[in-house]
Amino acid sequence: MSAETESSSTETPGTLWLRNLWVWTALMALLAFSAWAAYWPYGRIDTAVGFGIAGAKTALVALVFMRLKHASGLVRVVAACGLFWAAILFTLTLADVLSRMVNR
Amino acid sequence: MSGADVEARLREPWSDLETDDATAFARQRDGATFGIWVFLASEVLFFGALFLTYTAARLANQEAFAAAGRETNIIYGTLNTAILLTSSLTMAVASQAAEKGLFRRLTLGCLAATAALGLAFLVVKGFEYREDIEKHLVPGAHFALSQAPAQIFFGFYWLVTVVHAIHLSIGIALVTRLTIKGWRDADFLKENPQVEVTALYWHLVDVVWIFLYPMLYLPGRSG
Repeated sequence: MSAETESSSTETPGTLWLRNLWVWTALMALLAFSAWAAYWPYGRIDTAVGFGIAGAKTALVALVFMRLKHASGLVRVVAACGLFWAAILFTLTLADVLSRMVNR
Repeated sequence: MSGADVEARLREPWSDLETDDATAFARQRDGATFGIWVFLASEVLFFGALFLTYTAARLANQEAFAAAGRETNIIYGTLNTAILLTSSLTMAVASQAAEKGLFRRLTLGCLAATAALGLAFLVVKGFEYREDIEKHLVPGAHFALSQAPAQIFFGFYWLVTVVHAIHLSIGIALVTRLTIKGWRDADFLKENPQVEVTALYWHLVDVVWIFLYPMLYLPGRSG
């Protein structure tokens, strides 16, 4: 916290942009990579790469742009709760859907 | 900082708390951030349910979903993803500049750019919708593809892109509101938690699109 207070006194628009521009560059690179990977002739691996990259992009946006990296414990718990309940929703439903597919 | 200035910038009920200004500002900010995150967590579940419906339908109809995914326009889809990711950059810079209360022109410029990029997304989406309608990709009697489950894909496509566009339109209205109020009143944006709250909502709408991109535009490209 004290480091942030100190840095704000020397902050310029340039440093503000630089701190965020690398994330944007990484997001653009990931977008280009996922568009390219979709044309690989590997079927299911393409799908996994597409959603894996979506997860990586989300992590960058959530941690840096949405500042979860520096958020309080309470805010992190709330963010994790959304993911946790969504995970329950997916796990229970897909356990049913996938087991029916396997046993068909 | 004068007493009246603090009163104006500390919104209710924080101005009534008997603490020093710094603590009151910190609590106001923490309360606003906590509140919007609770809402965002509920949005994660709302879109999570839609995404789960897509996942179950895709697992059951893999070939039809690949054929349907090939029909969406990947150029428009990729362009719109790039536009939204860039709008998240300008929104993040606006939010961080406003929090420090340092660079009013930078904050206003970035807010205006964010709203403009949001509008650009909707314009591109409009062109894409026109093409989809011309290609008979609306589920119903004159649907273009022979596989019946491809209509499930496009039913999902229309539902979820319209719901996303409504969310984005609300975001554009909120960002435009901040821009106008900040332009009229020089002190409005400085340390105002409304900027952070609007930014967090904007980023979530971006994250939803990040997942829609591989769901709607990438299936079936290699086949």
